[in-house]
Amino acid sequence: MPPFRDDHILLIAPGSTWTLAQLGLPESFTPAKFRIPSRMFPGVEEGQYLPNKIHEVQEGQELLLGNGNVVTAGPGGKPSKKRKVGEPTSKPSTTTQTTTNGSASTANEAVKKPTGDAKPAEAKGDTAMADAADGAEPHDDDADEEGNDEDEDQEMNGTKDKDEDGADGKIYYDDDFDEEGAIWCIEQGRIVNWECFFALLLHVYEQINPTFHTPILMISQPCWTCTDKERICQFIFEKIKAPGFCMMDAAAAISAAYGIPHSLVIDIGYEKTDITAIVEYDIQELGRTTVPVGGNSLNKHLQKLLPHLSEDEIEQLKHSNICEILPPGIPIPGEEDIERDALLLPPEISTVGMGGVLPPKAPEEEGNEEEEEGVTNIAAIVASGKTQEYLAKKEKEKADKRAGLAAGEKRLPNYKREKNTFSFVEKVHEQALGEGKEDNPVEVHDGEKMDVDPAPAANGEPKSAVDAPNPSGADASAAEPQTNPDGSKPDGEPAKQGPSLMESMFSGTKDDDEAKRAQEKALRREEKKRQEAAQSGEKRKEIEVGTERFKAAEGGILEALADAAHRVVSSVDDISKRSDCWDNLIIAGNGCRLRGFKDALVNTIIAKYQVSPSSSGMFTSEIPSNIPTPSGTGTNTPQPSAYSSQQPNALLLQAAANNAAAAASSHHHSSSAHYPQTPSSLKIAKIPEYFPEWKDAGFEECVFLGAQLGAKIYFVADQGLNKGFVTRADYNSQGPQAIHNI
Amino acid sequence: MEAISALVLDPGTNTTRCGFAGEDTPKTCVPTYYGIVPDPETPKYFGSLKIGENAVSSVIDGMEIRNPMNDGIGTSQLVHISWAGLENWEVTTEIWRHCIEYKLSSRVEEHPLLVTEPIWNPLKNRERTTEIVFEDFNVPAYFLVKSAVCESFANSKPSSLVIDVGHANTSVTPVVDGIPLRKGRIHLLQSRVSYRPFSHNLYTGSERTPLAGLHLTTQLRHQFSEMGIRMTPWLMLKSKTTYTDLTNPPQLRLRDYGFQPHQSFIEYQQDRFIHEFKESMSETWAEPRSFPADINNPGDMLRPMAEKSYEFPDGYQRRFMLDRCVATESLFNPSLSPKPFTGDTPKGIAEMIKDSVDHLDADIRANMLSNIVVVGATSLLYRFNERLSQDLVAMFPGPRVKLQSSGQTPERKYSAWLGGSILASCGAFHQLWISKQEYDEIGSNIIERRAK
Repeated sequence: MPPFRDDHILLIAPGSTWTLAQLGLPESFTPAKFRIPSRMFPGVEEGQYLPNKIHEVQEGQELLLGNGNVVTAGPGGKPSKKRKVGEPTSKPSTTTQTTTNGSASTANEAVKKPTGDAKPAEAKGDTAMADAADGAEPHDDDADEEGNDEDEDQEMNGTKDKDEDGADGKIYYDDDFDEEGAIWCIEQGRIVNWECFFALLLHVYEQINPTFHTPILMISQPCWTCTDKERICQFIFEKIKAPGFCMMDAAAAISAAYGIPHSLVIDIGYEKTDITAIVEYDIQELGRTTVPVGGNSLNKHLQKLLPHLSEDEIEQLKHSNICEILPPGIPIPGEEDIERDALLLPPEISTVGMGGVLPPKAPEEEGNEEEEEGVTNIAAIVASGKTQEYLAKKEKEKADKRAGLAAGEKRLPNYKREKNTFSFVEKVHEQALGEGKEDNPVEVHDGEKMDVDPAPAANGEPKSAVDAPNPSGADASAAEPQTNPDGSKPDGEPAKQGPSLMESMFSGTKDDDEAKRAQEKALRREEKKRQEAAQSGEKRKEIEVGTERFKAAEGGILEALADAAHRVVSSVDDISKRSDCWDNLIIAGNGCRLRGFKDALVNTIIAKYQVSPSSSGMFTSEIPSNIPTPSGTGTNTPQPSAYSSQQPNALLLQAAANNAAAAASSHHHSSSAHYPQTPSSLKIAKIPEYFPEWKDAGFEECVFLGAQLGAKIYFVADQGLNKGFVTRADYNSQGPQAIHNI
Repeated sequence: MEAISALVLDPGTNTTRCGFAGEDTPKTCVPTYYGIVPDPETPKYFGSLKIGENAVSSVIDGMEIRNPMNDGIGTSQLVHISWAGLENWEVTTEIWRHCIEYKLSSRVEEHPLLVTEPIWNPLKNRERTTEIVFEDFNVPAYFLVKSAVCESFANSKPSSLVIDVGHANTSVTPVVDGIPLRKGRIHLLQSRVSYRPFSHNLYTGSERTPLAGLHLTTQLRHQFSEMGIRMTPWLMLKSKTTYTDLTNPPQLRLRDYGFQPHQSFIEYQQDRFIHEFKESMSETWAEPRSFPADINNPGDMLRPMAEKSYEFPDGYQRRFMLDRCVATESLFNPSLSPKPFTGDTPKGIAEMIKDSVDHLDADIRANMLSNIVVVGATSLLYRFNERLSQDLVAMFPGPRVKLQSSGQTPERKYSAWLGGSILASCGAFHQLWISKQEYDEIGSNIIERRAK
């Protein structure tokens, strides 16, 4: 058998919501190239599954596609007519048809959106919209044509056999946007619908379409049983006919990505969390557990707190910047702190908890702080020869601060505000398929911008800074369509201002700087996303939420995870390795993307389980800790140097040494030494730094990085010498069970 | 296609282990404890069952934690908690099923199944197990093996004196050439006449006593409550405050569940930190001098006991010295137990071994004494083997006494399972299987004929 090559290896990581896949290992490992939703739709025939929703249409009937297009079936199975929902069928004023529909087109949205609006405004908006619609029409049609052509192609492939039925007037349409009736084949990691799962695998495979000589590496979920793995193995060899196949456990992949021998992997998924202890790269199979708590639990909890928001809104709130979990010691704004005070940790532990978190300072202190810091910093600044820049910066900061004061409390950072807003992006799909090709900047569609008003953006810019900076767009955006003096991006504006705001808020301490930079980065990313979003025709509105946004992880979610983690580590047979596991905590999975979540989880574990070092009493208050700072992006910036040199490690070492000495001296021929209680310390493992591509994407999906490393070793470096994967020959001789022998 | 690998099931009182034959550790290890939530709509068990690690550790209103191994027998210390009391068969079936299907195989009917049993397992239970395996699980083939035999094999000895210090029982079983020793049934009949819970031995020389892990837990719990320690388990707490002064403890920060969990649940959760205490604090007294009867007045000791501090879940820190040894000492010297026995005081572990050896034929005694195999998780107690060896040497000054015990924690914890795994994967074993067909012809009594 010829050796496998780097670029001919298929990696698949199936998950409950997304399936990650990639062909080939690039020079430098990157996040997965394909993200495919883990769902299929029942096809027209029993037992057939298709990647898209299929609609069945009778001749002459109209069909509303999920993207807002309406298709009328014509004779001969050909679509005779296409148009947009909300676009007038005959007269340009008909809007009745669609108002009930949730996914209305932009035009409609523009009218509907300013809910608090007075009538005249609506009328105005209406006319404006009509213009817009007119202007848009030709383009839309083009887009539709293209899109639907593609549709037809797919349809041909998907339901070929049925095409003949065109005679009785039935036609089938792919609908890329409708998720109704979708079958999600994996629930809580378990495969619940095998036919569907296999269809998904096949779909992934066909979409990537690798050569025949492409081995496959699949990430296996911890909860898959041996029988499950055999079934998958059988499918891979008999249907996909791969020349080599291997499975890598998700937790193993995550720890491989980190490259740490002992660790505790907490993989937070959509509806479940897998907690696995790893000792010497070996999964502790017996103790590992899967807790039915995940990212979705956060949604559910938020939903309970904010019953008036829709599911989509909750989801986006969770992803937004303003939803975060505050570190202990920072009160939830506006709440009388009685409850939290009671919760507040004893001083020594809370300092531990805050180790890297660095409590943001109250604004009153800030004046003093700034000066102090300034004094200490100046020497360094002068030395570095950047005095000029520094002064400029100071000047700017001051200006910003003044501006900040003018704008009042709206400029407070998130954690100070009782209410904050996020922009809810609604998919409108106004130009569904093939839209990418068409470049039409005039059309860049924030609903508000549809009022075609070419007022120069340059003019708008400074102006809005003064009177429309209100990020809580409730009234701002409501006012927008009416007056709309500038036509610039109304929500882009405050975002851009963000960094300078932050600058004024935070004084020049180093950590604040860092936080700021992270914030800026986040904002920039946000901005970029917005632009992208704008291009793909999305619609946004501002939603204001109260302090509920800080409570996403309450309701026992963190406790459940902490408790399970403790159970898992306690079940590690080798007692001496338990503290190593605690010292290398890996929190991965997309469920932990929420800002502050990781730290909150660590703090929860510390508050409940951390014990002072065994010869305690003497220095209870000096437990060393090393928790990385959360940055605005939710990723953790490791700051090793700041802490390692710090404090009482010496004491700890001494204590440990005493212990060991005592053990050694007293018991000559005992086989197992006596180990103290764990955890006496707790650290989040350091993210490896040599994968630049992953840094930007966030390390939450590092399971895929592990898969790449694994594939490199199993298929390329090792080439099967150590039985790293099942070959065709193995499969032929041993059958599906071969998967267990690797 | 290769033959489908067999499953090995090792049901214990604390946990039930299962995995594939030929592997060196079980794949699953689920608590044998289960929760039951009163629910009038599921009359079968008078409530809905909660099985598995997560389920047992979740706080549910009214959930009671039980163990099928002691249902119907009661929880009095003196009474054995063991297979003998395995009354609640429906629940047991569910636990076994969970154990197998949870991670191993969704198709239990495809795998031959090997089950381990303790040596004192009565015929009724063996037949019932056979029925479950064939009727409920529908396995193609099945066999029942004595766990002592497995343990002996796991330590690669066909003949040995197996000392299994487990959760509910400590047992000693002489195994000669892979067969646990037995002599006739007279003993059994005798014991039926005058029912004595500890010694109704079917097997000569095999003995058991409840001086094991559970006993230790009970003793420690008693010891802690005597000290006035609040034994609030982790699950009930929000966070802790470290303190050392018991007389003036800070207020507990309890989690508010809106209901008071069942007492049995709280106790089960307490077991978790008591377990941790056993692992990290408990020590067996293994000094040449015998353990001082009064620990507050130890007299002149050769070496002061190393002081260790333990932090309880509510943050209370206490330094333990000699009192670390009290509970473990009661395994060897039950009369010293902090919590006195109600009724007869059983013999200590070492004495029980002596009894067993004294029952043996003189010609195999020497062989047995030089091949003592110590297994079971409770034997992992710090310096346990040292102490045991010391006592045995004192008891048998003449012959060579040699203890063998694996240094690997899993091998000790799962030795019965491991032995089963070795047996079931060995080729010669295949002719021993009882097939479904045979069961259909003969019925559950086949177990008595085929596997004695």
